[in-house]
Amino acid sequence: MAAVQEREFAALQTLLKAPSKDAVRQLCRECFSSPPAGLGPLAQRACPALAAGPEKAEKLVSALHSLTRHVVYCGLTKGEDILALFPENFHQNLKNLLTKIILENISAWRSEAQASQISLPRLVDMDWRVDIKTSSDSISRMAVPTCLLQLKIQEDVALCGNSPVVSALTVELSKETLDTMLEGLGRIRDQLSAVANK
Amino acid sequence: AADKINLIPQDFFAELCEQIIQHLNHKIPGVDIAELCQRIQASGIDINVGELAKLANAVSFLFSTAARNNLSTEDLVATLGSAATALPKHAVQVIRHVWNEQGKSVSASEDARSMATVGQFVDMKWKLGVAMSSDTCRSLKYPYVTVTLKVADPSGQITNKSFEMTIPQFKNFFRQFKEMAAVLETV
Repeated sequence: MAAVQEREFAALQTLLKAPSKDAVRQLCRECFSSPPAGLGPLAQRACPALAAGPEKAEKLVSALHSLTRHVVYCGLTKGEDILALFPENFHQNLKNLLTKIILENISAWRSEAQASQISLPRLVDMDWRVDIKTSSDSISRMAVPTCLLQLKIQEDVALCGNSPVVSALTVELSKETLDTMLEGLGRIRDQLSAVANK
Repeated sequence: AADKINLIPQDFFAELCEQIIQHLNHKIPGVDIAELCQRIQASGIDINVGELAKLANAVSFLFSTAARNNLSTEDLVATLGSAATALPKHAVQVIRHVWNEQGKSVSASEDARSMATVGQFVDMKWKLGVAMSSDTCRSLKYPYVTVTLKVADPSGQITNKSFEMTIPQFKNFFRQFKEMAAVLETV
């Protein structure tokens, strides 16, 4: 994530025409959360509120996106570190306001960045049921306990954008296969404890 | 499927037929198509998983139909010979051999497992990782668990499903499985 450019800070001055501090706050959040492709439409929506032409709005939105993402990328958490990013002659009040807004949102933004980074599909939900098979067309009487497990798995967020694809995987487990699963999970738990204690 | 048979060398085809008949005999939960395909591709043969799966289905259908009709080895070979698209000689040889050895034990065997309507869990592989850095956060140190479940679908083909969990999700996952096991104990 490249450092924020001089001209991008200049573009931020357009915020001085914003109707309120809350409007700035809202815009910052939207600029952070928007992917680069969404910045164009976002700029168009922001134009009227900022009393700025489309070109200025686009430059502003792009600069805010850059600034907020840069702060999250570098993992800055202290006010003085964020203030230090701004050039010397930057408008004092605006600098303080932006720093305040960033500090308010930094931890939520960090979580958002972690949640949307590339990954394998993620587990989003799991449901289970224990059944007993009592009979079938080939066997008239039996008492076989069996587990039905349904895992809801969401495909990579980065690939799906705004419409995440969730697939359901339904699996049957017998007592033996459930024990196999538990053994594997137990080993993961042991590893986690070992790593946590280091 | 018949034309793809021509591409597969005899030893791989034999392995495929062996797995299929063992699955029909309930000796193994399913046929690991993806794994077999990887090995076939590694030896330089151009076949994809879908094509191999179609072939496996065809062979499985052949064996189970033969079992239902109580075909002897000679009958089966004769049926193959009279089929519209002729199979290569080495394929017929393999089918004859596998059927001869294990065909008799394929039957509508009395087994609770044959009532599979959902995938059967076969195995679980796992990995515990820590994401160090990404394009959005230079310093992450984000631990996560990756799991790959091997599932045999009702037709007997084994597929892999991989997914990630956060540590709190994993703890909940583990807890749920312990609950399941506890319930299974009591029924």
